[in-house]
Amino acid sequence: MKTRPCLTLVTSAMIGLAVAQPAAAKLGSCDDPIVLGTTLSESGVFSTLADRWRNMTKIFAEEVNKRGGIPVKDCNKSLPIEFVIYDDQSVPATAVSLYERLASVDNVDFLVGPDWSSIGGPVSAVAERHKVPIVMANVATPSIYERGFKYVWGTPAPVVPRWSERYFEMLKSVDPKPKTIYFITEDNPVMKGITTVWSKKAEDQGLKVVGSEMFSSTQKDFTAVLAKVRSLKPDIIYVSSFDGASVPLVQQMAQMQIKAMDVHHTMLTGSLERQVGADIEGWTGELVWYQGVKGDYSDLVDTVLERSNVDMFDYIWTLSRLNSYLVIMQAIEKAGAVDREKVKAALYRGTFKSPAGDIVFDENGFPNTGAFTIQLQDGKPVVVWPRDVATAQLRWPATASH
Amino acid sequence: MIEVFLQVLIGGVMLGGLYALVAFGLSLTYGVVHILDFSHGTLLAVIGVISSLLYLAGLNPLWIALILVPCAFAYGGAFYFALLRPLGSRGPFESTVGTVLVTVGALLILSDVTSVLAGATPKNIPIRLGVYIIGDVVIPRMQLAILLATALLTLAIHLVLTRTWFGRAIRAVTQEQVAAQLCGVRSVWLRTMTFAFGAGTVAIAAVLYVLTYPVDPYMGFGLTVKAFTIIILGGIGNLPGALVAGILLGVAEGMTGLYWDTQWAPAISVVLLLVILAVRPQGFARKTA
Amino acid sequence: MNAGRMQFVYGLAVSLVIVGLATMPYFASPYMISFVFTVLIAYTLAQSWDWVAGEMGYINLGHYCFYGVGAYVFSLALASHTTPVLALIWAVLFTAVVAVALAFPLFRLRGDYFAFATLALLPLAEILAYNLSSVTNGADGIMLPAHDVRNLTFMLAVGLSALAFLASVLLDRSRFAYTLRGIRNDELVLETMGGRIQSAKTKILVFSAGFAALAGALQAWQLSYIDPPTVFGLDVALIPIAMALLGGSGLLWGPLVGVLVLAIIQQWLLINLTMLNATVYGAIILFIGRYMPGGILRASWVEKLSMACRQRSNGPATGDAVPGLPGGVHAAAAAISSLPLVPQAVDRQTVVLDCRKVTKAFGGNIAVDALDLRVHQGEIVGLIGGNGSGKTTLFNCISKAFEPTSGGIVLFGKDIRSLRRDQIARIGVGRTYQIPRPFGDLTVDENVAIPLMYQDPHLRPSAALAQARKFLDYVGLSTRTGSLAEGLSLQEKKALELARALACRPKLLLVDEVASGLTPAEVARFTQHIRDMRDELGMTVIWIEHIFSALAQVVDRVVVLDHGRLIADGPLAEIVRDERVIKAYLGSAHAEDDHAGA
Repeated sequence: MKTRPCLTLVTSAMIGLAVAQPAAAKLGSCDDPIVLGTTLSESGVFSTLADRWRNMTKIFAEEVNKRGGIPVKDCNKSLPIEFVIYDDQSVPATAVSLYERLASVDNVDFLVGPDWSSIGGPVSAVAERHKVPIVMANVATPSIYERGFKYVWGTPAPVVPRWSERYFEMLKSVDPKPKTIYFITEDNPVMKGITTVWSKKAEDQGLKVVGSEMFSSTQKDFTAVLAKVRSLKPDIIYVSSFDGASVPLVQQMAQMQIKAMDVHHTMLTGSLERQVGADIEGWTGELVWYQGVKGDYSDLVDTVLERSNVDMFDYIWTLSRLNSYLVIMQAIEKAGAVDREKVKAALYRGTFKSPAGDIVFDENGFPNTGAFTIQLQDGKPVVVWPRDVATAQLRWPATASH
Repeated sequence: MIEVFLQVLIGGVMLGGLYALVAFGLSLTYGVVHILDFSHGTLLAVIGVISSLLYLAGLNPLWIALILVPCAFAYGGAFYFALLRPLGSRGPFESTVGTVLVTVGALLILSDVTSVLAGATPKNIPIRLGVYIIGDVVIPRMQLAILLATALLTLAIHLVLTRTWFGRAIRAVTQEQVAAQLCGVRSVWLRTMTFAFGAGTVAIAAVLYVLTYPVDPYMGFGLTVKAFTIIILGGIGNLPGALVAGILLGVAEGMTGLYWDTQWAPAISVVLLLVILAVRPQGFARKTA
Repeated sequence: MNAGRMQFVYGLAVSLVIVGLATMPYFASPYMISFVFTVLIAYTLAQSWDWVAGEMGYINLGHYCFYGVGAYVFSLALASHTTPVLALIWAVLFTAVVAVALAFPLFRLRGDYFAFATLALLPLAEILAYNLSSVTNGADGIMLPAHDVRNLTFMLAVGLSALAFLASVLLDRSRFAYTLRGIRNDELVLETMGGRIQSAKTKILVFSAGFAALAGALQAWQLSYIDPPTVFGLDVALIPIAMALLGGSGLLWGPLVGVLVLAIIQQWLLINLTMLNATVYGAIILFIGRYMPGGILRASWVEKLSMACRQRSNGPATGDAVPGLPGGVHAAAAAISSLPLVPQAVDRQTVVLDCRKVTKAFGGNIAVDALDLRVHQGEIVGLIGGNGSGKTTLFNCISKAFEPTSGGIVLFGKDIRSLRRDQIARIGVGRTYQIPRPFGDLTVDENVAIPLMYQDPHLRPSAALAQARKFLDYVGLSTRTGSLAEGLSLQEKKALELARALACRPKLLLVDEVASGLTPAEVARFTQHIRDMRDELGMTVIWIEHIFSALAQVVDRVVVLDHGRLIADGPLAEIVRDERVIKAYLGSAHAEDDHAGA
């Protein structure tokens, strides 16, 4: 057994040289752009949820700067924004290191993102420790916001407590009235949270919950679950699942000719539609935004999406991401200075505009974003509720075509 | 209730056939060349992604298979010849380590390049062929077709292994390499061909897989683990055994979902594997004499 | 520079590095602290993995499970308001228990099957974490109190890594390491020499699991939030293994170098490449696997580099054969009295071995058939028979490499049914193998030193190696002490077999076909060895041999087997005239010739 301490010491020295970087622009100066730091899960397991977000983020900065940037009162001018983006590879420990880097080496002004609760949980603690306001994106688990942190906000959309609010509202006015509901849930904190909240609200509304089954994300065969569903014949089948994980379920529901007044899917997306085609014809779902919504910043968002070739129906988590950028921009403007404490104050219990409506944060930094109820009609998603923004008439019973 | 049982049974058989298909290529490469290929499942996922893109470009699955199988064959042969074969001439420790590193590296490269070029979101080939209905039991035509294709493939490969010179040569090389060489079998060429053949099988499996379920570039390793489970249960190098093992596994998963809890179904394959190995530590490998 | 001075320098360098790391929280950026923390955790995982894989040769692909279990137990404990110290202890204890429980079924598997089974543990652990949600909180994960523990966990990680390194250094020189290396080479042979392999395997697995559990606990503490995919994800499970292999598995500095190289490269790629960084990373791993599969530290260019960095130090393995000179077994060997073996008083009445109707069947093939054999102390018994007559199988039954199908064997008055293989070695049975089975990747002197380390009183490796040299002098291998055993010629390997068997201090020596392939002079020398063993040391010898001339010189009697049955037992002169023996050995035509000629 030979020893190679030379090699070890040499490589140890390489750590300091290779990885340390000189500090970036001065914090809060009026001559430098506003720097926003973030990570994206571009590789690894979470990368399967969205494509082309890095480009979208860059284009977002370009478009904002084209429109003049962010007005900062204390500087008497508008400042441009720029992003520092890393790939966290879907690994929480890597994300933590990278956010530490953003905060202490790249010296960003504020933090946005990350996505996904596995990563948001650890990263929020990093931001808190460095006292850098962070507006997380697709981090939906409420307990992450209940840790008493003062510098943490998030823009998951929709939030679990409001997820199917409009859908159940709609159910009050349909005819024939549904009486029973069956929940099929993917084993995932967000989806389980949705089922917990909305099965209770369904009961409160007079719908009897006749069954609730859970399945793992890699489940391939649903015959057992569907056999139970078929024998119970519920009026509404509520599928609470990510789009990808539900593909086999959807296909097998079609094959087994499961009939119901409506099948509701919490993530009815373009990606799902591409994979299962007509199997989801007539299904209802939720969408946070759709083309034609004329809310605030719609023009900016439309342009960004078009230029970066990201379709909100395909990647429904996109609006949440963009909202985190929009919120921090408005907070800086509201604070009037590129100053962390002032922006923190501006964010606290703040109300901010977004294309899908206002975002109101509670004292934990948790927002109130809701969603529109959609239905897939002739292969296209249309908004069916609320009636004043609906783009088409609801077809009820929804899955009569099966 | 008998209809539910039958439905679950049939669903399990069809799912199992697909599992077996995933394991075939591995059974060959591991059985003959004794290489633990960690990139096996990822290759399948990547070819699946490519198939789905070709389908979007307008090709039908048969053409897709006809194009991709030779490509995979070439890839497999080249991969073995350039990267794995030279390791065989090193000592047993180094060749094992080397294969692990090479296949892990390949896994990382394959998933990353595919993700960059084609995007990481799940893709499939959404063809619907309708269903047969017998009484209360529903049998999807597509999955039946896939099961038949799998059975045919098993038969075809089995015949090749037992009736052709190539097949006998493979088995000779597996059992006694030096003696086989003395009899005129060019071992290196043969192993390269086997690996290429295994990769070709993976391509067929990939096309059939995406006709049923979606794939993404990062799901591969999970498939590899399942494939290893099946070849242990079925006997290494024993393809009909792998088919039986796969079907058994599919049915076991379905039954777990029916009689116990759907959440535990994915665990059943691992538990079965561990139980079998505990009872019979040498596995079920039969001598392919 | 002598070995002692070199060690001092290395030790000083390592201590400086550890001290430097420990002071990092005072001067380094939080990013560096966080990055180095992940490196330290990766190192702890890689090093603890390598004890089982590099030293013992068992590739545990599910090592990450222990990490995950440790993370979960720690987090659950901490979340229910246990003190951190207690939570860490719980993490280690629980994981150790899991490791012990897994050791029983897992270590019945060999080679690749072991790898498969351990690989399957990861998805199982993930499913358990998801489904046992009343305990683990399922997919929701576990939230830990969010105190600022960055520096604390960093310091603990420094301590843990230093401990892992220290453990490796101590292990490297220990007797236990030789047991592990013996298992790596040939665990059956090790066991028949007195090695307790089952307890060794369990011990090292538990040790390795404990370190992994602590690494998991510290990582969880630093993250402050864990869920099943974070700690049991397949995508990251292979990385510490790749790191250890990349540096050089089985080498003291291997895992450290591998971790440093890969972690730095990965981080550099993450920071500087916006895409395809995983591809470059994978390509580097692939490249190393293809061109330097022994690991970086075993590559030839590194050998040359290291020679430039240091002078050759004098290790314990001196006496390497100078290339070019004919090495091998030479005639001028030492006398048997030079061996540190205690001569025994011979009592011809004592029955050393008593086989009663011993039968061994392999399926339909009956290799040994109702064999009765008694051997007294101080006898040299020749055992002959045609190929497949069951001679080696009989030896395997006596040393318990196989269990007899029926019948009993009593050794030194004890029924061996209740004894383990290593216990049989301890009561005084030694053997050589027909095809030599040395510990190939160990040196010649290490091969002989290993059984010496199991003697009573236990010898330290350095003392055992010194004693081993005497055995090697006796068999004439003194010029080859530093060579790897697998590089020896057949005759040298046979000499090594004999030396190793003697080092087991046997009272009963089973010699299996030593003389074939040797020159007459060498045969004569072996024969003299065997005579010395009985005459000078009072050993009992059973000798399987085909070369009658060799047997004729020393044996008291000869036992003949045919198709597993004992067909003759008596002095050699009688045996060669026995009709049954002639028929069995030479065929009946010869017997007819004899009659015709008479």
